[in-house]
Amino acid sequence: MTNALELRKLHQFFNQGTVNERHVLKGIDLKLAPGEFVAVIGGNGAGKSTLLNSIAGSLPVDQGQIKIEGEDVTYETVAKRARLIGRVFQDPQMGTAPLLTVEENLSLALLRGQKRNCWSFGVKKKQRQFLQEQLALLNLGLEDRLSAEIGLLSGGQRQAITLLMATLQNPALLLLDEHTAALDPQTSQIVMTLTAQLVAEKQLTTLMITHNMADALKFGNRLIMLDQGQIAIDVAGAEKAQLTVPDLLALFKHKSGQDLTDDRVLLS
Amino acid sequence: MDLLISSLSLGLLWSIMAIGVYLTFRILDIADMTAEGSFPLGAAITARQIVAGVNPWVATLSGFLAGCLAGLISGFMHTKLKIPALLTGILTLTGLYSVNLLIMGQSNISLLGRVKTVISLLPDMSTSSAAILIGVVVLALVIGLLVVFFNTEVGLAARAVGNNEEMSAANGINADNMKIIIYMISNGLIALAGSLMAQINGYADSSMGIGTIVIALAAIIIAEVLVANLSFGMRLVTIVGGAIIYRLIIALVLQWGVDPNNLRLFYALMLALFLSVPLLQKRIGQRRRRQKNIAEMEADQDD
Repeated sequence: MTNALELRKLHQFFNQGTVNERHVLKGIDLKLAPGEFVAVIGGNGAGKSTLLNSIAGSLPVDQGQIKIEGEDVTYETVAKRARLIGRVFQDPQMGTAPLLTVEENLSLALLRGQKRNCWSFGVKKKQRQFLQEQLALLNLGLEDRLSAEIGLLSGGQRQAITLLMATLQNPALLLLDEHTAALDPQTSQIVMTLTAQLVAEKQLTTLMITHNMADALKFGNRLIMLDQGQIAIDVAGAEKAQLTVPDLLALFKHKSGQDLTDDRVLLS
Repeated sequence: MDLLISSLSLGLLWSIMAIGVYLTFRILDIADMTAEGSFPLGAAITARQIVAGVNPWVATLSGFLAGCLAGLISGFMHTKLKIPALLTGILTLTGLYSVNLLIMGQSNISLLGRVKTVISLLPDMSTSSAAILIGVVVLALVIGLLVVFFNTEVGLAARAVGNNEEMSAANGINADNMKIIIYMISNGLIALAGSLMAQINGYADSSMGIGTIVIALAAIIIAEVLVANLSFGMRLVTIVGGAIIYRLIIALVLQWGVDPNNLRLFYALMLALFLSVPLLQKRIGQRRRRQKNIAEMEADQDD
């Protein structure tokens, strides 16, 4: 079976060739089987965001190869590889177009990966009911707000819609970039629950960066910890299910020979 | 009355150009200086063809297409070569100045006399009535097509790019291509206005583009200050109103005896004023609320 995602010897350098050179990703090898839901944790500067940006295409790859569903996308632009990727950003403002309506935003997402033409309308009446049903799944009362400008909605509502947009077209890979970090704790839990529900329903292969260790343990069936540009911990299945926060900290100390001292990780 | 009619006819023409500028200015958030070159480009192409005996409507259409080409060049430089938008516009407009002279072979072409223009195709009407009729018909067509286009799959994607580029890319939209499309439509419309202007005024002149962007922006800002928060289609209609009002103001100023040589200084001052109106409105509102608050707090203390 083809891997949903395959990274081979992925390296990223910042400021290459200068005194400020930083080797951010140091040869990441990673294979994701279809349907795997992977939580990625790691301290600041561990390379989590770099990893995600490399896969999404917003950061050109220095060395290595990226394959999604067997297709080599290493040198494709963000827009090109969007046919395979659904993405939710950390900033709730980033995933939607504020001046367009809820319906227009969703309609844009429905055409992800398809050719857009000038002879059919972007918003299709016959899709309205489908979009309303999808919005109803979010349980936020948004199904009646199809014609509201997205910019008028709250951060949590926008993030939930972004999540819906990213999954409407069943992407080969769903990328979640700390997508609940900017929300208040309650909204964050709602969006996280929605995420788990959508991922399970559509059986999406998912890579989720999170700062919240409890979330990383609670959600997903595999957990990866990045440390200094390398995969320090990779646990899955039953082993992952039994893991607790103290276990994880001990494991990290054992693997990397130091304490995990990033406050942001510990406190959440 | 004459003043009203001439302002109406010129205002209608200006509004075609203002709608063109609006597309780059508000959808892409770019003040595209290419306008100053594509306006006389449309005039030059059309005049040259009309003098050569080409059907005036065909000549007008080629003016529009030439403008699209100018937009393509600016759009290409801005998106693919990553040259800042303001510079891109200046580069194209500078280049177009020579191109326009090349096309016309001289610095101006007269269209008076026996040549056929879209105006002389309507022989039973006075120039200003013909201009108004043509202006209304062309505008209705332009606004109708734009509203339809910006609701198609591509049009919606183009609006999304202007609104949130990152999100557009994540949804598989090629932002560069969308920007280039908007650049092309925008400059096509500006050139179309130039083409019609040359036929109504009876001449094309290489320097007729100076002030294009200032006039267009003034029309847009007037429309936005007078009526806020409108749908795309309604906004375009109000820009027509804005352009006519602006032309009327200019006509009145000229009638008061302002030297036409000082007109461009006046254009610039007016636009600076219009651009600051939204801020002034906000400040005045703030001040009122503050004074009300102070009065209330003082009254409260007295109790």
